[in-house]
Amino acid sequence: MVNEERRKFLGICLGGITASAAVVVGYPVYRYLAPLQKEHAAGKVVIPEQEVPAGGARFFEYAGSTAVLVRKQGGDLVALSAVCTHLGCIVQWEKEKQDFLCPCHAGRFSSEGVVISGPPPKPLAKLPFVVANGVITVG
Amino acid sequence: MGLIKRLTDWIDCRIGVRGIVAKELTGYLLPANINAWYSMGSILLFIFGMQVATGILLLIYYVPEADKAFKSVTFIMNDVPFGWLIRMCHAVGSNMMVLILLFHMLSVLFMGSYKRPRELNWLSGFILFNLIMGISLTGYLLPWSQLSFWATTVATNSVSSIPVVGQFLVEFLRGAKLVGPPTLGRFFALHVTVLPLAIAGLIGAHLFFLKRTGVSTPPFGAKEGDSKWQGDAYRYEDHPGGIPFFPNYALQDAISIALYLAFFLSVVFFDPYLFFTRESFVAANPFLTPAHIKPEWYFLANYQTLKIFPNEFIGLSVQGAAMTFLALLPFIDRGDERHPLKRPLFMAAAIGGILLWIGLSIWGHYS
Repeated sequence: MVNEERRKFLGICLGGITASAAVVVGYPVYRYLAPLQKEHAAGKVVIPEQEVPAGGARFFEYAGSTAVLVRKQGGDLVALSAVCTHLGCIVQWEKEKQDFLCPCHAGRFSSEGVVISGPPPKPLAKLPFVVANGVITVG
Repeated sequence: MGLIKRLTDWIDCRIGVRGIVAKELTGYLLPANINAWYSMGSILLFIFGMQVATGILLLIYYVPEADKAFKSVTFIMNDVPFGWLIRMCHAVGSNMMVLILLFHMLSVLFMGSYKRPRELNWLSGFILFNLIMGISLTGYLLPWSQLSFWATTVATNSVSSIPVVGQFLVEFLRGAKLVGPPTLGRFFALHVTVLPLAIAGLIGAHLFFLKRTGVSTPPFGAKEGDSKWQGDAYRYEDHPGGIPFFPNYALQDAISIALYLAFFLSVVFFDPYLFFTRESFVAANPFLTPAHIKPEWYFLANYQTLKIFPNEFIGLSVQGAAMTFLALLPFIDRGDERHPLKRPLFMAAAIGGILLWIGLSIWGHYS
């Protein structure tokens, strides 16, 4: 004769133990696989001014992503995220045209990061920066 | 419950799972007097699964390059969250796999399960044993510690005592005159692809032989005669009136695995460096041989045997002869009697052999 109450109770216990075991095994594996937290020196990147010549661009790592500093022909500086807003490729600086081209799907951005043509839905994100004593500090 | 039943019905209508369960699990009958020693194989299967899982996880951070291997292992141990746990489970697990494998072989020996018609089970198991030793040896080098480096130097060097081709074989094995970056490359390839695939394939063959011949009846309290194999034609050894594999013996398997886990995790958490020496924590230095370098515990008897013979080739030949004897045991020991107490010659040889192995290992450890 099967005692249904007892069987249900044991089933619940077994389910509980299995679920606990899954958490005990799953949590370390999840933590092991999760991206490692890198320190980004308080989120600031320091670049000497002379590394960004007039009409040129300087790419660098910023907060775990890629960013770019552009000095326009007029001398104005712009700091932008270099990640294309279409599908996440890194845009390339075209010195002759003074704009950005995303080689993946031909998205084109102005030196200010505004979309000129192609599929990108949004402009490139602008990054805060300050210039002091010949040094550009982004972030 | 309703949902599970409906889902099962849906699958059953398409591939007949209930038929498989009835035939292979609930209807798969094992000898009524089966004992816990028969669950060693399930524990080993579980350990192999764990080694594969932890091995894949280690591959994410491990770098198989001589300059970076030790650093990457240190990074796993110190910087990756729970990296120490994954690595310790892998390292301790490899030792446990050899230990449980020895228990599995001993139970098969003492209960006479290797005897005909199960010669193929024994042979496939014996090859598996050698492959497990091989995968342990190749894995030992990967952390690129002083211990890894010099234990591999000593282990691979013993091959050089084979006449004529010895030196060629050593260099072929190492990929160079001495252990170095080329050795790491080939040992890594063997450890993560060739050997695991070969082991998985042989486990498949081992289980196939088990399924085709049927589980052997333990010699303790067995009823004589009703399913004796005559040697004239294939015959499946069934066990009418036996106990079902599921749920009865599956529960025994689960209990054995739980007991194993308790033992294994107590080592991982309370004495994780049980199988490590000081040299395991120092990066390999090809110009600095540490004193008293020893192989892993399961190679100590082989190591000592090589040392006690004046000629390395004789030492190697003795080991080769012993292993060949063990491999061919079902063809040498052909009697039908399987009860250990009714096989005095076997018992004397087996216990003598085990004591010799333990004695040589202890001697090797302290020599």
